[in-house]
Amino acid sequence: MNTPRLSHSAALILKALSLGYCFGLDVMEATGLPSGTVYPALRRLERDELVESKWEPEEEATAKQRPARRYYEVTRAGKAAAMAATQRYPLLAHLVPEKRS
Amino acid sequence: MSPNAMSPLPWFDRNLLRAVEKIVPAEERAEWSRTWRAELWHMHHRTDHRVPGRKDFGIAVDLSIGLMCDALWLRTDSWSRALSGTPALCLASLVGLGLLATLLGLALNGSWRAFAVYARGPLERSALAAVLVVFVSFALATRGHIEQHSTSKGRYGLRRHSFFAAKAALVLLLACLLSTDICGPIHAVFPQTAGALQLLMFVPFALLGLRWAFADQEGRCKQCLRSLAGPARVGRPSHNLLEWNGTELACKHGHGRLNVPEMETSWCDRSRWVDLGPAWE
Repeated sequence: MNTPRLSHSAALILKALSLGYCFGLDVMEATGLPSGTVYPALRRLERDELVESKWEPEEEATAKQRPARRYYEVTRAGKAAAMAATQRYPLLAHLVPEKRS
Repeated sequence: MSPNAMSPLPWFDRNLLRAVEKIVPAEERAEWSRTWRAELWHMHHRTDHRVPGRKDFGIAVDLSIGLMCDALWLRTDSWSRALSGTPALCLASLVGLGLLATLLGLALNGSWRAFAVYARGPLERSALAAVLVVFVSFALATRGHIEQHSTSKGRYGLRRHSFFAAKAALVLLLACLLSTDICGPIHAVFPQTAGALQLLMFVPFALLGLRWAFADQEGRCKQCLRSLAGPARVGRPSHNLLEWNGTELACKHGHGRLNVPEMETSWCDRSRWVDLGPAWE
């Protein structure tokens, strides 16, 4: 399977997601990219099946008295693409810090 | 308890969402709205700030821009999915190229009147040459293509022929305009040479254009006329001079599939359209 060639910003977003940042605002803060880049890029990555999204269970969110969030997760193809992008852009690994749990 | 009942979004955010959600295609509106309500709510209620220099107001403005970009992306994506590969897009692109070539001609000649006077000669010459070019193109077209056309029935056949006729006419017009534009600067100095050169350029442009029109027509669904997609290799590699047996393309709407042999003896003897019937749609 061919790994798709990603733009710098898409590669950065995919890297952030693979490091555990899992929703739009989180990715925005981790990458420093504007939201006008992050959200459409997340849509494109999802359309290309590099990322999949799922809603947080409603009960879980209601228990914490907040609305459910849309979480993004990197697919197997996305992990391969992120790895290829890191080889292509070696500095990518240093641009996004590891997520603190 | 619904999330909105916990603490509503500020007035500005609610109204912005209500205004921008009209851009989003109807089938995706509910999901888009839910996503952005959650993002905005969390932005207003977050406790951890990873980027200390980034002020809340700045992030709020950034998110407002983001939700508009997201809505616009969804709208343009739905348009591009709806129009991608359609005959309307093909004809519109050719008309667009024709307009560009006309504008170039206008720019080179300075005025509409000068362009009309200059272009009359090339148009007349090209119209005569076009008859020959069309005859040669049809004579050289593959038998497979002509057979597909001869099997056309009813309104699908009429629609397909009309589309091909419009496409061929636009391609010929484009070839004429392009050759006229290229020879424009020479015309002022050597009018006779420019006339001959224009004709010499029109013929290959028109032949190439019509060849493209035939190939494009063959790569389209015989019912909906959309471009066929998902090319898949058929057979085993290295059996036909290191090639596969052939390629199969399918209509995205399930109207049928096109079998294209690598060579005459490798699969079917020529390109073959297979109707899939209504059950596949």
